Amino acid sequence: MVYHLRAMARLLVIPLVLLALLGGAVIWSGAMGSRDAGADFVFVNRGDIKTLDPNSISWLQDIRVAYGLWEGLCTLEPKAGDPDELVVVNGAAERIDVSDDATVYTFHLRPDGRWTNGDPVVAGDFVFAWRRMLEEPADYTYLHYYIKGAREYQQAYAARVEAVRANGATTQPAADYATVGVTALDRLTLRVTLNHPVTFFRDLVAFPPFFPLHAGSMKSFRVTDKATGHVTYRKAFTHPPHLVGNGPFRLAEWVLRKRLRLAASEHYWDRARVKSRVVDVLSFQDPQTSYLKYETDDVDWLAEVANDTAAELKKRGRKDVHTFPGFGTYFYSINCQDKLPGGAANPLRDARVRRALALAVDRKPLVDKIGLIGQPPATSFVPPGLFAGYPEPQAPGYEPDTARRLLAEAGYPGGKGLPIISLIYNTEGDHVLYAQNVAKQWGDVLGVRITLEGLENKKFATRLHDKDYAIARASWIGDYPDVSTFTDKYLSDSDNNDSGWVNKAYDDLCARAAREANATERLKLLGQAEQILLDEMPIVPVFHYVNAYLIREGVKGVPLDPRNQVMLKFVQGRSREGGRR
Amino acid sequence: MGARLVQFPLILAVIYLVTFWLTWVVPGSPFEGTEKKISKEAIRAMEERFHATDSASFLAYYPWRIITEGDFGESLTSDFTVNEIIGQALPISVALGLFALVIATACGIALGTLAAVRRGGVLDFLSLTVALVGISLPSFVAAGVLLVTFCVRWPIFTIARWGHLSDLVLPGIALSLLPMAYVARLTRVAMLDVLSSDFVRTARAKGLSRSSVIWKHCLRNAILPVVSYLGPAAAVTLTGSFVVEKVFNVPGLGWHFVNSVTNKDQTLILGVVMVYSAILLTFNLLVDLSYAVIDPRIDLSK
Repeated sequence: MVYHLRAMARLLVIPLVLLALLGGAVIWSGAMGSRDAGADFVFVNRGDIKTLDPNSISWLQDIRVAYGLWEGLCTLEPKAGDPDELVVVNGAAERIDVSDDATVYTFHLRPDGRWTNGDPVVAGDFVFAWRRMLEEPADYTYLHYYIKGAREYQQAYAARVEAVRANGATTQPAADYATVGVTALDRLTLRVTLNHPVTFFRDLVAFPPFFPLHAGSMKSFRVTDKATGHVTYRKAFTHPPHLVGNGPFRLAEWVLRKRLRLAASEHYWDRARVKSRVVDVLSFQDPQTSYLKYETDDVDWLAEVANDTAAELKKRGRKDVHTFPGFGTYFYSINCQDKLPGGAANPLRDARVRRALALAVDRKPLVDKIGLIGQPPATSFVPPGLFAGYPEPQAPGYEPDTARRLLAEAGYPGGKGLPIISLIYNTEGDHVLYAQNVAKQWGDVLGVRITLEGLENKKFATRLHDKDYAIARASWIGDYPDVSTFTDKYLSDSDNNDSGWVNKAYDDLCARAAREANATERLKLLGQAEQILLDEMPIVPVFHYVNAYLIREGVKGVPLDPRNQVMLKFVQGRSREGGRR
Repeated sequence: MGARLVQFPLILAVIYLVTFWLTWVVPGSPFEGTEKKISKEAIRAMEERFHATDSASFLAYYPWRIITEGDFGESLTSDFTVNEIIGQALPISVALGLFALVIATACGIALGTLAAVRRGGVLDFLSLTVALVGISLPSFVAAGVLLVTFCVRWPIFTIARWGHLSDLVLPGIALSLLPMAYVARLTRVAMLDVLSSDFVRTARAKGLSRSSVIWKHCLRNAILPVVSYLGPAAAVTLTGSFVVEKVFNVPGLGWHFVNSVTNKDQTLILGVVMVYSAILLTFNLLVDLSYAVIDPRIDLSK
């Protein structure tokens, strides 16, 4: 009998251990967490936050949150009378003086500007952040190149670090930051000198790469390279409670892939106008789950809605689904270099062939069958309706006869003599559907034979940027509210000119526009530049993006902004009688 | 036993090297998105920061840090270090995985035993059906069905949330289906085998009751294959499932496992793979140890 009990006990060891482990793990994982107080506004962001270091912020989901945590010299605000439009207004700067030649900006900071820890916001905070942008460059550093001496300083600084690293020491003098046109004249005055007039400089300084940083709170995260003296910061400075911003909110909680919680800053100068005390930012990996979350739970705004879901809800007549023009264009990029990868002569270097391809695409059925939410078929690169005063040149649309004639003129009647052309795309979303349909149209209309090559994202990006393709699926979403955010992409020396298209007249027009202080003239020049682009067709535009939101009725402060921006300062959840669950 | 403990770090070292090599040969940069190209200076700055300029300096830098400080370094694509990411995600995956494992073993053994005892009957057919469904139904379908049924149709559970005990249930069930099906099948086959053996007939002939024979004699013999399956099953469920985590939005480790690779986040890949391997090896070791607990005839010291 004793043996029997022991045997039973032995047998029970495993399940008991398992259960004990389970109990321990549940506690360890925080699944027993207590219910916390609710938020005034809850929204599902586009994806997980990548970084909250303004130096390297470039993703939309990060930018949205950054606008809540920091405030630039200027900031955005819903327009009085049209809350769906965001306009640029003074932010951390109370007053801005611009020199007559529009190249020197003097920003007078507001004396009541405060960081979330109560420290005053001073001009030196901007100098510190902008200098770091050059010394530790990232995605948007190029936006600082409008500032006098910025690009040169960045290069000199990097060259010296490189030299010391290679040789142990260098006779090269340290790069001198005094050569850069950013100076703190006194505690509250910042003077910025530009290379040439930049009509949208106020918009730029509202953007995260121009946010100030609180040097004091970052000090304990400094990492100084012994040999070169190069300073970097451990990213942990962006975690709560370390993160110090000057915006309407402070970062109260950040759990990866679960939630970010923002709490209204008690030190923000304009706190009286901050509408919500607590804002929760959720992220989802699965669009279907996030949609079901919105449908069944307490979410005020779903910032990313799948096209088919949005189309279905519109059909059902739902009032909370909103579709509105986006800030980008979907197109096919054509390799314009003399040789194709592999060394064969490139038939696509002939503009007539490229124009034939563009004229042979009937875009309407594509957007109707695949796009689903009324994307406008695109015959231009710059999306129409975004920039007041821009001439908005257009290429002709679907003209199969002209297309065949052009191809014949180029020496390939009915597609004869053309090699099989490869089209690459990344295997994500609907790209394959568009590619298949466009390839079929090219085959039917022109007799051009296309092979489709679906690639994983990283591989695709590498091939696209290395110009290792003949035709590639591409898209471009503008960064700042100016036409040049589109036209700059096809400058000969642009890092983003993936087509290898070089056109002197285009470069000249863009360069003249950059120096033009008269806004109307400037837009006219950029329009002429785009006209060249559309005549030469290094791209085949397909459609302009349309965004879709689900916004609960009664929610205020979420503008239908083409760039998908939102100023969390102004968001307000629908009233919740009896509080939140 | 001692030999196995020596093997442990050796196997981990080999896994590290192979993973390391794979992360360097895949194309693309962790610092680049799909659409926009980042300037060469920016990429260079980032690479220097992460010692990722070339494979040699990376290899020289990281293993040493991992061994001496237990620090997997900074993630190349996140504001959190690899240790912080794993520290946040692993407990969640472990809790969920253990929950799924408990369901899977309990239900699986029960189903398998019932099926064997009532061989050819309705219960046998039912348990076989459950096993078949569990094995062939992809987890994203099962997870989706559970989600729509119990969060939307009958809102018993709050959808896609983490932080309450009830949030374990649906993802736990979704995750348990596959191992449950395996356990049921293994138990059934082993049980049938044991039931027809001589000692069972003897026990019955000596007058022991049917239930006593099944519970005290058969199950114990039939359970060995199940226990050996528990090792890999635990490793798989504990480290999280990409699909289940995605559908239920559980902030576990499985998502990082896949996503670190798509992002080419070399340090995170290495960190997650090493944790996964360590768990797998540990569980295999535990399984071997538990053989001795269940079956005194097995002696590991020999």
